[in-house]
Amino acid sequence: MEKDYKKEIDYPLYKPIYETGKGFYIALFILLAIAAWAAYMYIRQVTYGLGVTGMNVPVSWGFYIVNFVFFIGISHAGTLISAILRLSKAEWRRPITRMAEVITAIVLLIGGIHPIIDLGRPDRVLNIFTAGRLQSPLLWDVTSITAYFTASTVYLYLPMIPDIARLRDHGGKLRWFYNFLSWGWHDTPRQKKVLERAINILMVIVIPIAVSVHTVISYIFSMTLQPGWHSTIFGPYFVVGAIFSGIAALIIVMITFRKVFHLEGYLKEIHFRYLGTLLLVMSLLWFYFTFSEYLTGVFAAEPHEMRTIMYKFTGPFAIFFWGMVVCNFIIPVIFLSFKKLKKIPGILFASITVVIGMWLERLIIVIPSLANPRLPLHRGIYIPSLTEWSLFIGAVALFILGYMVFSKFFPIISIWEIEEGRKESAQIVKQRVESYMPENVNNKI
Amino acid sequence: MPKWAMVIDLDKCTGCGACMSACKLENNISIVKPEQANKGRVMFWMNIMQEYEDGIPAENSRRTPKLCFQCDKPPCTKVCPVHATYLNPEGLVGQVYHRCIGCRYCMAACPYTAKVFNWYEPEWDSSMKECLNPHVSLRMKGVVEKCSFCAHRLIRVKENAAAEDREIRDEEFVPACMENCPADAIYFGDISNKNTKVYKAASNHRAFRMMEELGTEPKVIYLSQRE
Amino acid sequence: MKNSNKKYFLNKIFIFQTISVTLIWVLFIGIVLWVSNLVHLSIFWHDQRGISISISLVALPIFFTLASVLTYVFIGLHKEEKKLMSKEKGEEE
Repeated sequence: MEKDYKKEIDYPLYKPIYETGKGFYIALFILLAIAAWAAYMYIRQVTYGLGVTGMNVPVSWGFYIVNFVFFIGISHAGTLISAILRLSKAEWRRPITRMAEVITAIVLLIGGIHPIIDLGRPDRVLNIFTAGRLQSPLLWDVTSITAYFTASTVYLYLPMIPDIARLRDHGGKLRWFYNFLSWGWHDTPRQKKVLERAINILMVIVIPIAVSVHTVISYIFSMTLQPGWHSTIFGPYFVVGAIFSGIAALIIVMITFRKVFHLEGYLKEIHFRYLGTLLLVMSLLWFYFTFSEYLTGVFAAEPHEMRTIMYKFTGPFAIFFWGMVVCNFIIPVIFLSFKKLKKIPGILFASITVVIGMWLERLIIVIPSLANPRLPLHRGIYIPSLTEWSLFIGAVALFILGYMVFSKFFPIISIWEIEEGRKESAQIVKQRVESYMPENVNNKI
Repeated sequence: MPKWAMVIDLDKCTGCGACMSACKLENNISIVKPEQANKGRVMFWMNIMQEYEDGIPAENSRRTPKLCFQCDKPPCTKVCPVHATYLNPEGLVGQVYHRCIGCRYCMAACPYTAKVFNWYEPEWDSSMKECLNPHVSLRMKGVVEKCSFCAHRLIRVKENAAAEDREIRDEEFVPACMENCPADAIYFGDISNKNTKVYKAASNHRAFRMMEELGTEPKVIYLSQRE
Repeated sequence: MKNSNKKYFLNKIFIFQTISVTLIWVLFIGIVLWVSNLVHLSIFWHDQRGISISISLVALPIFFTLASVLTYVFIGLHKEEKKLMSKEKGEEE
């Protein structure tokens, strides 16, 4: 009755779930150790107070908020890109969507706890339920991140149901678990129709939610009067940056899994070339936004604004600012425009620099404005402490850990979509393309 | 309803810093260790602002006492996620220490950097502990605090006035900084009442408010011949 | 596995599934209660109620759409399973 997963055509996709090597446990151990260290540092911070960080007056926000914006930005990799690809019926999406959606779910969870890490009194966080102000941009964030998290988990889960049912039918471990999650899926046409309809609704509502999330995060900054923050461009600027860093993170994750799980048959160079093109477009768009943002500041030269800008251009943050320009614009454009360089190693390199560059961008947005308040009373310098570095590394470790554990329970490439693609997508695409073609006038006469 | 406001005459101010220490003692503000203070965590509700150039006071720079400006349109209360900072009907911007979750959004949003944060549990040495002011609540680690215009004194003044069944007299409610100013450079009182000293001082032609163009409507008014 | 055993197993799973879907509704109703509490507070404290009301009007329908989509899928899939199971049963008899 039970099928043998080894006989499936898509055996490589089942394999990581049923077979676990030594490497996995070693990595698991290392990552757990890092996470435990970060947890220890956090408990220490709660015991002694936020004094253990490098924050001060006037730099009252530091790494935690930077990483919060950064991680939530990365989360745009997933659901948004996958929804756009599905909506535009891009056939090459099939092996990509699942991986992208998983990034979103995990990173959102990690990014979402950063504001709580940042609190001076985490024991009072429930005050937002009893005495909260929906008028505060922070609460807008709480609402929109909750909405995005639930929407993207649902959007991850629903298309996974047929795969869970496949795992259930292959028997073996955790029978009850897959049975529980498969919601009685039996691949009937009616069930397929229900699922398809639900996915269609979801992908339409998930796009505005995703856009709203990063817009609202930018509002945290742009709703204040501070020089460098009070900018109307911030909403779209943040969204573009988020998608940009998201695609880069997605490419890194895909290349890693391709190598570790030997998925070369599924993730071909063409996928990376397409994603690379998308990354290039986002890089140009990012440059356009950055250029407009700073040009307006420099040209109008309002003194307070100018001080933060000069702090970035020539002051203590010059190395980060120009580093960001190199990482986000110069390197990606060079590596992604030329066919010779646009191979997997080149795309990987460009993606890594983009992720670093986007992190620098978040740093450059948060710190210099705080370090240069309008009144000349305080001038701040911010040096992150060991605690902040530990929690940053811990968050990254937690992300890798989450992804690894996920890949041991669920296929990271959607099996049913691959099967469906193999069966019918060539046919469908052919029909679709034929429907675009101009009709032959002579036939009609 | 009175509107409490302060006028600081910079032409009279000697920059001695008596207001700073009076405020610090009056309001039980934690005394931060020197190495913490060097990190930028020194705590003052009333501070003296001065331009520095390469570590020394800049030429022709003025020493300006600076406290929370108790804005009528405060940017900090707009962003607080838990109603921990609010504008009361008498124009005081209050801070609820026991509700504050320590997100420091109000600090980031204040254009005047008026707020300070308890990075560690506040500490005083034993001799200082004995002279804590019983009328001002102690803060705990992880909350934001700032100048309250000595609101605890207002409570007493109101009680006295109510007991004697009369209005609050001008200059009956005085904050500690004003009380201790040796140059009498600080005026304080109800600015909505045209007979008060503070109102007269505020109508002086030398009056200006810090960064008025931001639209925050500060209730601390400076007087100065310069600028 | 015997058929009756399997049926018992599936029934138990179904109960847990129903509970989990109900929990999602509980969560979303909790969010509604929370938001309405905050709106109430903002009216009570005369604190820019327009903003909080409009935000809640934007946010709440989204949560409800999500919960409804999930419930729709849950019911849709299970209806089919019931049909299949009764068919199986019919074939056995």
